Order: sequence, then C-alpha cells, then structure tokens
Amino acid sequence: MGLQLTNIQKRFTKRDVLTGVDLFVKQGEIHALVGTSGSGKSTLLRIIAGLESPDTGTVTWDERSLLGVPAHERKITMLSQTPLLFPHLTVGENVVLATPDRSREQAEKWLTRVRLAGRYDDEVHTLSGGEGQRASFARALAADPRLILLDEPFTNLDPDLKYELQQLTRDIVSELDLTTLLVTHDREEAMLVADRVTLLENGTIHTTGTPRELSETEPTFGDFIRLEGELYPLTRIGVFSEGAGERVELVRHLVKFGVRLGEYRRPNGEYVILPSDVSQQIGQSYPLRKK
Amino acid sequence: MRRLVILVLILLPFSGLFTSVPTFFFDDAIINTVIQVLVIVSLNVWLSIGTAWWLLFTETKWRTFIEWFLFLPLFIPALAGTFGMYIALARFGLVGTTIGVLIVLLVVTLPYSIRLAYNAMSVIGRPMFEQALFMPPLRRYRDVLFPLLSGTIQTIALMSTVIVLGQFVLIQLIGAGLISTVTTRLYQVYAGNDVALALQHTWLLILIPAVLYIAIGWGIRLGVKIVKGRL
Amino acid sequence: MSRVNVLLSMAVSLLPLTALVFLFRESVGADVWGLMQEETWRASLGVTLYVTLVSTLCSLVLGTLAARAVYVNGQNWLLRWLKWPLFVPHIASAYLFYLLFADGFPFGLIEANERHHLVVIVTYIWKEVPFVFLMVLGTYAQLNTGYRDMAKTLQLNPWRQFSVAEWPFLVKPLLDSFWILVAFISFAYEVPALLGVTFPKLLGVLAYDRLTTGLFLNESEAYAVALIWTLFLFGGVLLTYVLTAKHRRRIEKGVRR
Repeated sequence: MGLQLTNIQKRFTKRDVLTGVDLFVKQGEIHALVGTSGSGKSTLLRIIAGLESPDTGTVTWDERSLLGVPAHERKITMLSQTPLLFPHLTVGENVVLATPDRSREQAEKWLTRVRLAGRYDDEVHTLSGGEGQRASFARALAADPRLILLDEPFTNLDPDLKYELQQLTRDIVSELDLTTLLVTHDREEAMLVADRVTLLENGTIHTTGTPRELSETEPTFGDFIRLEGELYPLTRIGVFSEGAGERVELVRHLVKFGVRLGEYRRPNGEYVILPSDVSQQIGQSYPLRKK
Repeated sequence: MRRLVILVLILLPFSGLFTSVPTFFFDDAIINTVIQVLVIVSLNVWLSIGTAWWLLFTETKWRTFIEWFLFLPLFIPALAGTFGMYIALARFGLVGTTIGVLIVLLVVTLPYSIRLAYNAMSVIGRPMFEQALFMPPLRRYRDVLFPLLSGTIQTIALMSTVIVLGQFVLIQLIGAGLISTVTTRLYQVYAGNDVALALQHTWLLILIPAVLYIAIGWGIRLGVKIVKGRL
Repeated sequence: MSRVNVLLSMAVSLLPLTALVFLFRESVGADVWGLMQEETWRASLGVTLYVTLVSTLCSLVLGTLAARAVYVNGQNWLLRWLKWPLFVPHIASAYLFYLLFADGFPFGLIEANERHHLVVIVTYIWKEVPFVFLMVLGTYAQLNTGYRDMAKTLQLNPWRQFSVAEWPFLVKPLLDSFWILVAFISFAYEVPALLGVTFPKLLGVLAYDRLTTGLFLNESEAYAVALIWTLFLFGGVLLTYVLTAKHRRRIEKGVRR
C-alpha cells in the first residue's frame, strides 16, 4: 500500500535528469528525498504530482497506475518554496477553494489547525513568510489528499521559524496519518521530519533508510548526535554554563572561521566540537542539552 | 491541420496584393511619408523609454496621477481627439503645416509606445534594471536599456510606423488637404478606381514598416555587438 | 534625463486632453436633444455599438487564446506568424479585405460592402488579435507558472484552474485592451469608410462626413457627437476601473513572480 515508482527516467534537452529511479513510499509514512540542487528531486516530485510525465517508468498508487491520470484527479497535493496563495482571494477563500464541498467551516478548521485562527478574512499580502506557508499548508490539506508533496517548503524561512514549522508539519501529518513525501537539500531537515530518508544522487537512488540507519552507515550524512536515545542535529544542541543535562568535559578551546569553539568529551568517550563560551574552563564539566 | 487553418486565416488577406501588377512611380507623397515615419519613430523610442523608466523607478505621490494622465489619451475615441486637436491647432495657425501634422502624429502614437515600453520593462523586471541605476544616464541607455530593450524598440518602431501610416482623416484635417502622404493618396486613387495604382500604395504601406523593422533589427544587432565588444 | 522625457510626454498627452476643452467650446450651441432624435445618428449609434462590441470581444477572446496557446501549450510558432498583420496599417488592411471580398468571398457569399458590416468586423479582428495577443503575452510572460501547478494539485477542474490561476491576472490587460479597442474602433473613419455601407454609417464616418461636407456648416453637430461619445467612454472606463480597483490592488500587492 502506497506510492511506488519504478525505473523513472526523464531527459530534458541534452541532459539526463533522472536515470532510473525506484522509490517506495509506504502509506502513512513521512518520507524524505534528499539531494543537492540539480539532482532531479523536484522533477521527480512534479512527475508524481502529474505536472510532468516521465520518459519511461511507472508511477502507481496501491498498484494502480497514475500515468495518464491528470494532476487534478490524482488526489496528490503539493506545497512549494513560496506559498503561492492566489492574491485575489482572502486567506480563507484560498482554503475554501480547495475543500471538496467549498465549506467555510472546514476552511476555518484547517486554518485553526495551522494556528491561523481568525485570519480568514485577511488579505494574502498581510501574511508573513511563515504564515503564508502555513496558510498554503492548510489549503493543501483541505483538498483531502492521499499524498502530500512538500517541495522544500521551509527553505525561505529563517532558522527558528523553520524549526517551528517543521515540527508543526510533522505533528499534523502524523496526526492525520497522511502519506508525505518531503523533498529537500537539507539533510538535517530530513532527519528531523522524516520516518525514512532516501538519498538521490545524479538522477538515481543512492540509498534508503531510517534517519538512525543512515546516520550510522552514511559518513557524509550531516552532524548528528544521539542524546538520551534521540537523534539531534548538532545545530540544535548547545553546551551551557549551568543547568541540567548530560555533563561533558571541556578538553580544549579552538577558533575556526572566527568562531570560538570547544572540544568536549562525553561520558561515553565520544568527542564533540560545539560553540563554546569564554568563561568555560578546560577540565571543567558543563551541561549538554537541546537548545 | 489546425495550424494550417490558422496560417491560412492569417495570410489569406495578403493574397490581395498579388491580384494585379502594381505600377511604380515616385513622388512627394512618398518622401513626406518616409520623413514623417522617421521623425515620429525616433521621438517615440526616445520619449517612451525614458518615460517608462521614470514611471517604474520614481517614488512620488504623483505617480498614479501621471500614469493616468499619460495613458488617458488611449481611451479618447480616435476621431474625437483628431477633431479637438484640429480646433486647437487652428487657433495657433498650425493647421496645414508640417509641424502641426507631426505634433498630432506624435500625440496619437506616443501613449501606445509608452505602454509597450512600460509593459516590456515590467516583464524584464525591476531588479534587472536596478542594477543600472548607479550608472550615468548615457551609459544607462547605451549599455543596459538598449541591449535589454532591443526587441521592444523594434516593436515600438513598428507600432508607431503602422499607426502613422494608418492616418487618413488626421492628415487630411490637420494638413488641411495640403500635405499628401501615401495614405491620403490611397484614398484618392481608390476613389478613382485605379486598382493598379491603389495596389502600389498598399504595397508601400506594408513595405515601409517591414523594411524599417528589418533595418532596425539589423541596426540593433550591430549596436549590441559594439556595446558587448566595448564592455 | 528621464525627467525631460516625462515632461515632454506629459506635454504631448496634454494636447488631446485640452483638445477636449476646445471640442466642448465648439460644440456649444449644438442641439443635442435634436441630435438624439435624428434617425441617422440613432441608426449609426446602433450599428456602431454592434460592430465595436463584436470585433472587440472576438479580438479579446482570440488574442487571449493565442497568448495562452504560446505560454500554456508551447505553440511558439504563433509568435512568428501573428506578427504579420501588425505590419499592415488599418487602411491597407481595409483595402486588402476589400480586394479579397470584392467579387464575393467565398464562392460569392459575402460582398465587400456587405450590409451587416461583416467585412468591417473581420478586418478589425484580423488587425486587433495580434494587438491583444501582445498585451496579454506580457502578462503570461510575467505570470508565475507555479500558480497554475498549484491549482492543478489542489484538485481543481480545468475550468476552475483557469479561473483562479489565470483569469484574475488577465483582468487588467484585458480591461485595458477592451477600452483601447473600443475607443479606436467605435469612432474611426478609415476602415468603415472603405468597407461600410451608405446607411447606416458608422459613427466616425457619419461625423466626418457631416463635418467636411457643406463647407463645415454643421461642424458643431459633429463636434458635439465626438464630445458626447468621448465622455460616454470615459464614464465607462472610470466605472470599470473603480469596480475592479480592489481586485487589481490585491493582485498587485499579493502576487509572487
């Protein structure tokens, strides 16, 4: 049960974009597709959505072919880098538009779910970047999809907003048990949001696995750290001067690219390098925890 | 098949050009017409590009007003404007003079040209032009506006030529029947039922814009090459 | 530099606008009520509205379809061929159509000076479709294709896709084009003078004939008609722009390129 891609190939003038992609997205899972720009990940998403057709290969949902089914009958919605809310409609009207029975109540329910309650009658240009993306998310959910495609929807947001929206997205799709395919160039994002991650390189699948598996088998797979059994990106971890948390010992100070860093030893013998504080002294222990 | 039908619909009217052999002769009317076209086209290109630039980049509370003011003439019914300007120019003794005719021809072409330039510039996009804001005006024209807008310059030239060549009543009234052009001549020969002569004038009316368009295209390509070479 | 251009352009625009004042002064004394009663003018107004609206609306529809064919369906060959009518001045196209229909075309069905003004309408459509095409093409070039993709993935049917992701952006160029064409077609002389019929004449032809025959004796009548028609169109322009102001402002502020 789910989305199955088999041997997808796509060639644009003089350039192979996809050279035989096989991918399975299980129903109800959040699957991340990670690749650098130009790796063909957006093209793959457009093929799944029905906005582009592959040269060869098959796309099926529950073993029924989607090729030949127009985009607006696939029950697959999409969120892109910019919110793309229709500017002539209000925020709420944008959501109503997508609800199958054009119900205002439904639209208001979705807006509340993405924490935009009371913004129904606001004009689109009054929303901030993060709010716009949330409204767009509400609209994509309102269309009652069986699969939602997220095409780097967090890219244009500043870091805190990005993190907040990643959490919200994860919470909502998990709660709805909605099959989700996230495309991103950001490995940290993939690890944070997805149940399973696929690496796409040069138009073909490099490897697939859970974030945990990949962090162990893929040497280049970002800087992650396991803390109290959970996996966190290093950017979300800090060494504090006081408070609770796993105690790490400062081994030495170093400066890299003008940033003051410290090398710390963890109780399990691992070493980590993280931003440090001038006041911290070598040989002393400090708490390591989530920022 | 559908493509063929559309092509036939577009091209069929041109078949009239080949119904009989046009006669060839040369006179003042042709010279008048070519001069009018050259003057009006140059003024249109120069004025419209500068004006569109200003409209896109100047922050002033008058902007909307000025935009309306510049585009309003587009909504004046064709002959009504001509009638009004006829009365107005008669007051200043400009009816029956070449300068009067040129002024009025500029009036009927410029709003379209500004519109074209404005549309083209907003398609290319503000960020692209903002890169040129720090340049002195002359270099801005030569190194940025000219290469980026070369296609638009060609279209502006074409549209204003064709509008100038389409004016019969305007030249008849403002020129007081004293200034003859290929267009006014076409009406006279048409009334005289001389198909060969009428056809010759029709050929001219189509060839003048076509030749000018091609010539400007060549000129622009050459110009852009020179600008690129210098950079 | 560009300030000089704006000032000159404004001076140029000032002329037709002040010309309207002169038109007003000269039409003082015309028996407007009498004009409205006169059968010739009334018949002319009727046929003018018919010719203008049919040619304008057809041109808008066909021009938009053509621009859409280029941008949505990739029919780039249209770019090359639709330019052709642009090279032909109105007066020359009128003569070309006159020649084409002179002996009845096709198969003797339609004469050049046919009484329903069909050839006038066809001539205008042939000339104005490329104009509308150019106006709308600019909008399509600027339009973020993401909107259309978004409409598709929101599971909207093709008609609703068009109505949310294309139509709202087309309102402005189509409105502009509509009034430009109406102003041009409804009060012109060249094309209907060549292809029209003696009764009822189109408004422009009638006004010019009244002005120039009889040694300008009836000139205030022609001026009054010109002025009334201008004010009528200005009223229409104003009304439609006021009615769409909110819509256009929303688009301008909220659009993502």
